[in-house]
Amino acid sequence: MNETIEVPALARVEGEGGLYIQVKDGKAVEVRLDIYEPPRFFEGFLQGRFLQEVPDITARICGICPVAYQMSSIQAMEMALGLQISEQTRLLRRLLYCGEYIESHALHIYLLQAPDLLGKQSALELAVVAPEVVKNALRMKKIGNELLKAIGGRSVHPVNACVGGFYRWPDIEPIKALLPELEWGLETAQETVHWSLTLPYPKLEVDYEFVALHRDNEYAIYDGEVWSSKRKPMPVDEFDKVYLEEHVRRSNALHSHTIDGNTYLVGPLARLNLNHEQLSPTAQKALKTAKLKFPIRNPYKSLIARAIELVDAYETAIQLIKSYQPNGKAYVPLTLKAGIGSGASEAPRGLLFHRYAVDANGLVQRARIVPPTAQNLPRIEDDLRALVPQLIKLSQEEATLTAEHLVRAYDPCISCATHFLKLKIEKIK
Amino acid sequence: MKTNIIVIGIGQSLRGDDGAGLRAVSQWRETFQETAGRHEVRVETLELPGLELLGYLDNMDAAVLVDAVQSSALPGSLSRFSLEEVLSFTQDSQSAHGWGVAETLQLGQTLYPSLAKCRLILIGLAGKNFEMGARLSAEVEAALPNAAKMIQHEVSRLLENPAKDI
Repeated sequence: MNETIEVPALARVEGEGGLYIQVKDGKAVEVRLDIYEPPRFFEGFLQGRFLQEVPDITARICGICPVAYQMSSIQAMEMALGLQISEQTRLLRRLLYCGEYIESHALHIYLLQAPDLLGKQSALELAVVAPEVVKNALRMKKIGNELLKAIGGRSVHPVNACVGGFYRWPDIEPIKALLPELEWGLETAQETVHWSLTLPYPKLEVDYEFVALHRDNEYAIYDGEVWSSKRKPMPVDEFDKVYLEEHVRRSNALHSHTIDGNTYLVGPLARLNLNHEQLSPTAQKALKTAKLKFPIRNPYKSLIARAIELVDAYETAIQLIKSYQPNGKAYVPLTLKAGIGSGASEAPRGLLFHRYAVDANGLVQRARIVPPTAQNLPRIEDDLRALVPQLIKLSQEEATLTAEHLVRAYDPCISCATHFLKLKIEKIK
Repeated sequence: MKTNIIVIGIGQSLRGDDGAGLRAVSQWRETFQETAGRHEVRVETLELPGLELLGYLDNMDAAVLVDAVQSSALPGSLSRFSLEEVLSFTQDSQSAHGWGVAETLQLGQTLYPSLAKCRLILIGLAGKNFEMGARLSAEVEAALPNAAKMIQHEVSRLLENPAKDI
């Protein structure tokens, strides 16, 4: 590779940011993910808002994972008020979350990362050579959006979930009408797993600390205990005692690290490595056929993890829809009191933590939102450092693409984290 | 034979003049209620529809898209583009959030030959300010009545001459 590589803006990531790599004597001197998308100050303007407004406001942080923001904030508020929700509410929230996994993962696998693995500049180029693949991807994604719409009234930023439950039970018929498409999606997701195993992933093995929510009886998406590959399990409200955020002067996103100063990984690889035994039966079967060895430590192979999670999401959605039979009130009435609550759920990109302090009138005093991409940013920089010995042996073009691909494999949502990419690699003589 | 027409305002209501397409379609709907209310006419205002746009064009015989454009033209100027012209605006897609109308239509053309039967035109309103904020610039605001008339002209033409090539 030459002395410098510069790409004006990294494509196929959500949001705006730049990447800078400086190399001396074959080693990385500096690796920076510069987040120049403006900060969004959600934690600031949530102060003084009524707690019931928070799920729909924070949902606006992201058009791809609005449900994650709703689910984490709702759980935090319910903890602050000491509210116990009904089991059917929990199951419907999980179903809503399956819709988000389906639309987000289908988008990332096929339209954002697959072009890298197939040597294409964009999904548009991919569509020319493999129209059926892209058509299936759009159909798979659409099912997810339809599910969001059937439960939450809109295919993006659904609005029905609230602190205490749902504003109303969604009608059964429109949800059950999605079953044939979901069955098709389940089949196609299994084909996606087979296809994902044939792709030429760049080589990179990293000793990660994987962090994800865990439940013994299901693949944790909606809630769970915080599990780490290197620590003891902890309840959600202890998360930010161990995983800390700090302001980095050059970045509009906070950077996370563990209490002992190390980086850690959240997202599909972390989830799959920690929780694969809890996958749905068909996802387990796909896993067995794939003959994967755990732990998977290659960040590029997050795509395989997403494909397996797609199988789980379709199958779980089908099961939850078949048993959906709402009765009684859709929500528990709120009894306001001052309190502090934490909530975490597994956004498609990784663990999303919220904490709120509310006063006796239900007004937000303090808000804290720790999105998955902010947690992964320093981890991506560490991965890029580990990649440099490979990069310097490559042509300029290949080095650039390999580095960009690594960032994209994380499916970073810069817009969520600003609270992110131009690539520049410089070699010092 | 019934001609199904969809009129779609596209944009972002919180990005200054990027809300022009949404506002123009709303104004047309209010001013020309009879046309907008016809059963073969469907009206939508979509904020950042991305790939979802293709779903709205499915099974339509014709579509009138109204969107703000960034150009060297004077703010508030109106332009009419054919599908071929819109496709020539395609740039490499930068993000999932920023999947533009041209890229989406190009993807649609590649994937769904059936979309070719949908006669599509785009009315572009030249904007000036695309910064955060709900307000349109004065020039774009002043152009809304003419934009509504232009939409009406196109929709009427499509209703009267469904077979005529545009």
